[in-house]
Amino acid sequence: MAAGPVVKKVLAAYSGKLRLVIKNYPYRYRDFSRIAAEASLAARDQGKYWEMHDILITRSPKLDRQNLIAYAQELGLDVKKFTAAIDAQKHKSEIDADIKLAESLDLYNTPTIFINGRKTVGERPFTYYKKIIDEELR
Amino acid sequence: MKLRAMTLLCCILALSSIGFADEKRYDVPLGDSPSFGPHDAPVTLIEFIDFQ
Repeated sequence: MAAGPVVKKVLAAYSGKLRLVIKNYPYRYRDFSRIAAEASLAARDQGKYWEMHDILITRSPKLDRQNLIAYAQELGLDVKKFTAAIDAQKHKSEIDADIKLAESLDLYNTPTIFINGRKTVGERPFTYYKKIIDEELR
Repeated sequence: MKLRAMTLLCCILALSSIGFADEKRYDVPLGDSPSFGPHDAPVTLIEFIDFQ
């Protein structure tokens, strides 16, 4: 699961002071993690990464191929292009690189969030992130 | 005297390593991963995500 709502709250609270970067770390033993990551990057190709990102988080775990195509339609994406991209695993090497990076950092849980390099593991309450960010802004 | 100095040094090292462990900063390359917010923001969050 993603930290969706909490991260959103953090971004809103520190608007303009934060940059959020997303790395994919789909667990191998889950059915739709990988294709969902592909879907997010296929949407990015069409300039709607964050819109798809939000949908994937709020609709999870409904993330099978048919669901993803429906979400693409909902966002007004070129569905043919989108479907071709997820079927061909167009972003496989990018996702593999993220997984390799996660493994090299010995990550075992998602979300894992690095705040200016400081590691936080798992979904934490808003105040937890706030404390670290305030320290970083000092 | 030497022993005392050594003991003191060990204590300092032990304490400082505890401090560092807590505040360890990882160098995570950004690459061209999806990004939101200003590139020169004072704080960067790198989130490893699994949508499922």
